[in-house]
Amino acid sequence: MLKNYIKIAWRNLIKNKVFTLANIIGLTSALAVALLLVMTALFELSYDQFHENKDSVYQVYLSNQTPRGLESGTSHPAPLAPALKTDVPGIKHAVRALSDDALVTYNDKEINLDAEYVDPEYFDLFTFPAIIGNAENPLSNKNSVAISEDGAQKVFGSIENVVGKSIALKLGKEEQLFTISAILENPPSNSSTDFDIVIPFKNHPEYASNIDRWDSQFHSVYVQLEEGVTPEQFEKNTQEFTTLHYQGSIENAKRDGAVANADGLYKQFHLLPIADRRFTSFASGAAEVKRTFPYMILGIAFVIIFIVCANFINMNIALSEKRLKEIGMRKTLGAVKRQLFFQFWMESLLVFTVSTILGLVLGNLLLDPFKSLFNTRATLEHVAQPNIIILFGLSIFCITLIAGGYPALLMSRLGTLHALKGKLDLGKNRLRNSLIVLQFAIAILLISGTLVLHGQIEFMRNKDLGYNKEQVISIPLNGKKDSYRVVELLREELKGNANVLNVSGADNNLGLGRDGSTMSSMMGFDYKGRGVVTNALTVDYDYAETLDLEVVAGRTFSREFAADSLSLVINETMAKQLGEEDPLSIRIPMDDGATTYSVIGVVKDFNFQDISKQVKPLTLFMNNGWDLYYAYVKIAPQNITSSFEAVEKAWGNIEPQAEFLGSFLDDNVDRTFRREKTMATIVTSGSILGILLSCIGLFAISMLVVAQRTKEIGVRKVIGASVSSVALLLTKDFLKLVGIAFVIATPMAWYFLNEWLQNYAFHVALSPLFFVGAGLLATLIAFITVGTRTVKAASANPVKSLRTE
Amino acid sequence: MLLQLNNIFKWVQSGGQRIFLLKDINLEVKEGEFISIMGPSGSGKSTLLNVIGMLDTFDEGEYHFLEDSVHNLKEKHRSNLYKEYIGFVFQSYHLLDDLTVQENLEMPLIYKKFKGSERKAMVADMLDRFNIVGKKDLFPAQLSGGQQQLVGIARALISNPKLILADEPTGNLNSKQGEEIMDLFKQLNDEGVTIIQVTHSEKNAEYGSRIINLLDGRMI
Repeated sequence: MLKNYIKIAWRNLIKNKVFTLANIIGLTSALAVALLLVMTALFELSYDQFHENKDSVYQVYLSNQTPRGLESGTSHPAPLAPALKTDVPGIKHAVRALSDDALVTYNDKEINLDAEYVDPEYFDLFTFPAIIGNAENPLSNKNSVAISEDGAQKVFGSIENVVGKSIALKLGKEEQLFTISAILENPPSNSSTDFDIVIPFKNHPEYASNIDRWDSQFHSVYVQLEEGVTPEQFEKNTQEFTTLHYQGSIENAKRDGAVANADGLYKQFHLLPIADRRFTSFASGAAEVKRTFPYMILGIAFVIIFIVCANFINMNIALSEKRLKEIGMRKTLGAVKRQLFFQFWMESLLVFTVSTILGLVLGNLLLDPFKSLFNTRATLEHVAQPNIIILFGLSIFCITLIAGGYPALLMSRLGTLHALKGKLDLGKNRLRNSLIVLQFAIAILLISGTLVLHGQIEFMRNKDLGYNKEQVISIPLNGKKDSYRVVELLREELKGNANVLNVSGADNNLGLGRDGSTMSSMMGFDYKGRGVVTNALTVDYDYAETLDLEVVAGRTFSREFAADSLSLVINETMAKQLGEEDPLSIRIPMDDGATTYSVIGVVKDFNFQDISKQVKPLTLFMNNGWDLYYAYVKIAPQNITSSFEAVEKAWGNIEPQAEFLGSFLDDNVDRTFRREKTMATIVTSGSILGILLSCIGLFAISMLVVAQRTKEIGVRKVIGASVSSVALLLTKDFLKLVGIAFVIATPMAWYFLNEWLQNYAFHVALSPLFFVGAGLLATLIAFITVGTRTVKAASANPVKSLRTE
Repeated sequence: MLLQLNNIFKWVQSGGQRIFLLKDINLEVKEGEFISIMGPSGSGKSTLLNVIGMLDTFDEGEYHFLEDSVHNLKEKHRSNLYKEYIGFVFQSYHLLDDLTVQENLEMPLIYKKFKGSERKAMVADMLDRFNIVGKKDLFPAQLSGGQQQLVGIARALISNPKLILADEPTGNLNSKQGEEIMDLFKQLNDEGVTIIQVTHSEKNAEYGSRIINLLDGRMI
């Protein structure tokens, strides 16, 4: 019996070659892509899930009521963690952690490693197991460090006999010797924390001077709660603690007119589960955990599967009309419903099995290009877990049951005589049409998403950021020499080069450099009885000139004025915040009145932070006591490549040991929206695939519709219709469906894209052209797809279609 | 003279051999004639009708229709020619199922780009002439076979063709309905319309002024 089913199924599939092929191609590519997308999404969702204590370990954040509204911060002062541990009940561990660089010297080799400065209990909270050495407590004393496999490879070239060796670390201005106590497994690719080396927190250069200061916040704090203690209890338990330790800033907040929160508090500690860290944004002040990105990817995978399944159902139902006689015949021969259902379902199962196998193969083949294209480190291992495989198998089975079973059910239910007569009443093809509408609505949604995403990326790339990003190279100062000395040496080395226009330095980068680090530095002070908060930037001479910042009032730092270390240059937003009519008259006392700074100039606002953020108040300092971390070199617009090489060569002469990580600022800016680009790539490929698959379906359906209407076409031609009028008649019905899809999809697309664009302080205007463009594109594609079929049908000789028997 | 066929041949190639569908057909039709084509199944009756109606091509020979040499015409001109001068009536009526009687009649006029008001007048005229005014809003499925064929003929006549080609117009009808349709043809012929019909029935063939017998694609 089964053999007979398979045989008949096989013959039927062979007979309808075009449809079988269309189905298999569609299903295969959809399954392959869905597999890859699901893999990516699961990988994203698996971030930080590997920590064994993930349910009891939290990151601490402080929400502040300020005159500007709610603001939250994850940076904390050094005394906080020990104080929490001793003063607040229910806390098992409280540890500090800080990500930074560390310059390692071993046998004359200098290497910059990603370092994590942590308290020793860190390893009780987080699961980073040691493979060699002291696994119990890798940071048992202040001079021991733990190194990852990769770190060990970088420094020693192997992981053998590394434990116990000494290395020198440059911490601040001094070098110190440390002993390797353990080698740790590399942090998994789905870990938010990535490091080469782990160093006891107390060695951090900032630690000693800030050990008792509650107003200097520079690291994260994680706590593990005791069993049975909830985050809510923690929040309650810390209320008094907070009022005590932050008394000064709470009073300032009250004075400046901040409004207390619902509990009547100005500052409150909250906890964030560590597995949520990657998905948390503090943009609106409160912590918002949004897993939009992975869910969007899952959504696209689902939508693509839906599109092919709709194709499959549509084609099968349409094809079944050809098989009505067969069904009738089988029924008269005594087939019962169940047998018929099984027979048709068998065909679907056959197609799905073949497609699934091909899809898995294709997915594997596409794995590497996919990973580089989508910038993900996901691997199939994240998918190849028993429960996920079972789930996958189950969902394939369900899809087969629905997509293959529905047409089978429809046909097996048909009355015998009905079937023999060859009439199939499918309720005016309502199901078919709604599926097509849905497919195209999805396609239009994805196309408009693609257009807006690309529009926004182009907008961000082309926006005038207020500084010269085309001609300026920024170089991370990652060597051993004093930073001011390096900038000075660069000036001298490049003096003879006519293509180098200016050299300067600052303690922060613009955009995201090749060193991959971001930093923000804020400070607050009282000005005329009001609290003022500003971003702070330490710069060297010629900063404004190098970056082409526009000076709107006063002057910038100059070598001709000896006292410029007590001068400030502020941006317009800062000037507005200070609220003086003549900004150049502003004098600001700092360090409890010990020093007074005076404003000497105002620069036009420039986007010194991500373009998604509004321009915040900014104050430029010039103080030799504060290190610079980046050098800026402005070159002439001609001979850019040779100038870049000259800069690189100069760097090599000055810091031969340190790697040159210089890059143009426009590349840095591009790097800041890598996430948007990845998203754009995913949505674009999703929409291309979606459109392609919808077209396969539409093509097949148009073929069948044309076949069904052959007689009508013949009659119309005989009574005088022209080819174009018949083609139009046939195409019109499909275009109508696309039109309905457009009406459904556009408001949804508008809503979602508008929501998304709100994340950006500067964004492209959501012009109707995006949607009209998407609609037109979908229409055009549908027109071409259907048109080829209909024109062919319309030009056929009516004699053939009218032959009655 | 309305049309003239000289030495028409039509064949299909099958296994290196020519199978003749029409063989050396010579036929002259004058305006106002009523011709019946007879012959057994597969003798080429319908093929001949289609060739005359310019729906089908032929492989050899000459076909003159009024002043035009059909064998030299391009596809497009040929279809313009038959659209203007020829009306078709089919055995299975071939009405458009989704359109009402009135809309079915209107369709050829739309394709010939008549104005809306003209179309209305002509359709009303035709409904009147065939006594089917009461049925104008019904769909073909709601009519009997005879009535459907009536509509079919009305549709063929609406744009005033010189020639009506009917392929077994009574084949799907009972004898009484068939008789009525044939009477109608007779009446139309008397009014001056040239008619060529294919039929199996001797009785129906008698309505014509001339009978052509076909056997294996050859006139006998």
